[in-house]
Amino acid sequence: MSVLALLLAGPLQSWGSAARFARRTTENAPTKSGVIGLLAAAQGRDRADDLSDLAALRFGVRVDQRGTRLRDYQTAHHQVTEVSMPVSERFYLADAVFVAAVAGDDPLIGELHRAVRKPVYLPYLGRRSCPPARPVDLGEYGESDLEEVLERVPWQAAGWHQRRRRQEPVVTLETFVDATSGDTSPDSLRDAPLSFDPLHRRYALRGVRTGRVQVNNPMARQLPDHDPISPLGGD
Amino acid sequence: MTRTILDVHVLHTVPPSNLNRDDTGAPKTALYGGARRSRVSSQAWKRATRHAFQELLDPSELGTRTKRVAEFVAERIRDIDDSVSQDEALTLAAGTITAATGSKIEAPKRKKADVEPAAPESSYLMFLSSRQRDALAGIALRGRGDITAFFKDKANKDEARRAADTHHSVDIALFGRMVADGADVNVDAAAQVAHAISVHAVENEADYYTAVDDRRKEEEPGAGMIGTVEFNSATLYRYAALDVDQLRRNLGEGMREDADTTTPVRRAVEAFVRGFVESMPTGKVNTFGNHTLPEAVIVKLRGSRPINFVSAFEEPVVENGGGYLRGASERLAAYIPGIEEAYGADEDTRTWVLRVGPATEALAGLGTAVPARELADSVGAAAAQRQAGDR
Repeated sequence: MSVLALLLAGPLQSWGSAARFARRTTENAPTKSGVIGLLAAAQGRDRADDLSDLAALRFGVRVDQRGTRLRDYQTAHHQVTEVSMPVSERFYLADAVFVAAVAGDDPLIGELHRAVRKPVYLPYLGRRSCPPARPVDLGEYGESDLEEVLERVPWQAAGWHQRRRRQEPVVTLETFVDATSGDTSPDSLRDAPLSFDPLHRRYALRGVRTGRVQVNNPMARQLPDHDPISPLGGD
Repeated sequence: MTRTILDVHVLHTVPPSNLNRDDTGAPKTALYGGARRSRVSSQAWKRATRHAFQELLDPSELGTRTKRVAEFVAERIRDIDDSVSQDEALTLAAGTITAATGSKIEAPKRKKADVEPAAPESSYLMFLSSRQRDALAGIALRGRGDITAFFKDKANKDEARRAADTHHSVDIALFGRMVADGADVNVDAAAQVAHAISVHAVENEADYYTAVDDRRKEEEPGAGMIGTVEFNSATLYRYAALDVDQLRRNLGEGMREDADTTTPVRRAVEAFVRGFVESMPTGKVNTFGNHTLPEAVIVKLRGSRPINFVSAFEEPVVENGGGYLRGASERLAAYIPGIEEAYGADEDTRTWVLRVGPATEALAGLGTAVPARELADSVGAAAAQRQAGDR
C-alpha cells in the first residue's frame, strides 16, 4: 500500500458536490469526485472510461488554509443577438490550501504519480478557470497509510498565513477521510464518482470521517518565557 | 508522444476602470495572500478574446451559431448541386443534422395561421464550422434517394456524427462547446484561462457624480441626476494555458490526405496569443476609456505541464513611489527560474518575452526578446513546427 499526496493551492478553487443549473456551490474542501477527476484527466482517461480502480482508492484531505468563500455573479449574452442569458451564481474558495491524498496498490499509485507530473489533460482545481498556483505533486509515500501521510506532510499554508499564526508553534488542521466499516455515524457526501460520462454522470454516497491532526508551524516565534516579576528583583 | 503546451503570462496595468462588475455594480474582487485584489473573471476575458477573433480570423475559420441550421446546411447543399429544390434540400439537411447530433429539427409553431410555414429549426443554438457544414452537406447529398433509409445504415450515421464532431472552428476548439441535448458532440476546450487578479492589494473607490439637465430653468436649481460608479485601478497578472495537442484534435487532422495539417493549429495558436494578449473586456469602457495594452508578456512552450506563476504575487506587491509594474516584474524575474529549477523545467522549453519600458527591465533575461507584432507569429510557428515533428 502506498500513498500519493497532492497539493491543491490557488487563488480560486471550487469543489461542487450538489451543484446544478444556475447555482454552482462549492464544498469547504476538495471532493473525492473532483480529485479523482483530476487524476483521471492527468492519465488521459476520457470521460466515459471506466474509473472503478480510481474510485476504489482511499481518499482523504487536510485543510491547511481554510480560505474564504467567494460568490461570483455571472451574466452571459448571446453571441449574435446580444440577448441576456439567465444569470448564474458560482461559488469559489479564495485563498485556500489543501493537501489531498489517495492510497492504493503500489503500481497504480506509481502510475498516478507519473501522470500528475506529466498530465495528459491540463489540471484544474474543481473548475476549469482555477488552475493550480503551485505544483500539485507532493510525492509518493511507500508503505504508508492515508492517515499517517496526512499527519506527516509538512504544513503547506502560505508564508503569510503561517506568520499570521506565529503564536502557535503547533497548529491543528481538520481532515476529512473516507470512512471505514468500523466508523460509527460518519457524515455522508454524494461525491464518490461512478462515472463521468457526460450523458449520465453518477455519484454514490460516501461516508466521511472528520478528524484533526497537528503539524508544526515553521514560522512560530520562539518566545522567551514570560516572567514579568524577575526584572523587579523580588524573591 | 511529445507534448506541446503553451503558457501565457501577462502583466497589464489598467487605470481607474470597472472591467467586470458584480451584481451591485462594483468591480469584482477576491482575497489572495490575505489581501483584497481586483479580479476579472475568466469568462469575461474569454469573451473579450473571442471578440478579438473576429478581427484576427477569417469568418470561415470561425463558426456560425444558429437555430436555423437546416437552412444553413441546405444552402450549401444547393451550392454543390443546384438540381436540388429548396424543400428537398431542407429535408435532406434536417435528416442529416438529426442523424449527426441526435437533436430534433422541426418547424417552429406559428401563432397566426396566415403566416407562411417557417423553415425547420433546432430547439437550441447550434454551432457549426464551415468545414462541418461542407461535410454534412456532402453526406446529405449522398443520401438523396431516401434520407431516412440512408441513415438506417450505421456506417452512414457514424460518418455524420464524426462530421459534426471534428474540424471544429477555432473558437470552439479553443474554448469548447456545450450542447444542451447531445453530450457526445460536446468539445473539451483546449485553452484554460484563469481569473486575472491584481498583483497588489486594492480597495474599490466610488465616484460620486452629478449630471446637469441642460433645459432646466433657473428657478429649479440642482442636478438633473446624481449617482455613484465604483472603480479601481490595478496591475493585473493574467494567465492562460493552451494544450496544443488537444487543440489539434479539436481542429481535426486534414480532411484530405494531402491537406496541410499544421496550418489550422498555427492559425489558432496565433489567434489565441494575439486575442488573449491584446483584448480588453468592454465593461464600462466608455466611462473610463481604459484602452491599455500589456506592459509585459511571457510565453512558454513546454513539454510536460503548464506552470502558473501567480504564487509570485501571493504576497501583495507594495507600492514604493513608482507604481506596481517594476515590483511585479522583479518578482516574476526571481520566481520563474526558482520554480523551474526546483521542479525541473523541460530542457526544450522555449520562452518569448515582450516587454515595454524600463520598469520591466528585470524580465529581459528570461527569454528571447520579441516585438509585439512578431510574438504571435513566432509562437504559432514554433508550436506548429513541434506538432509537425510529432507524426
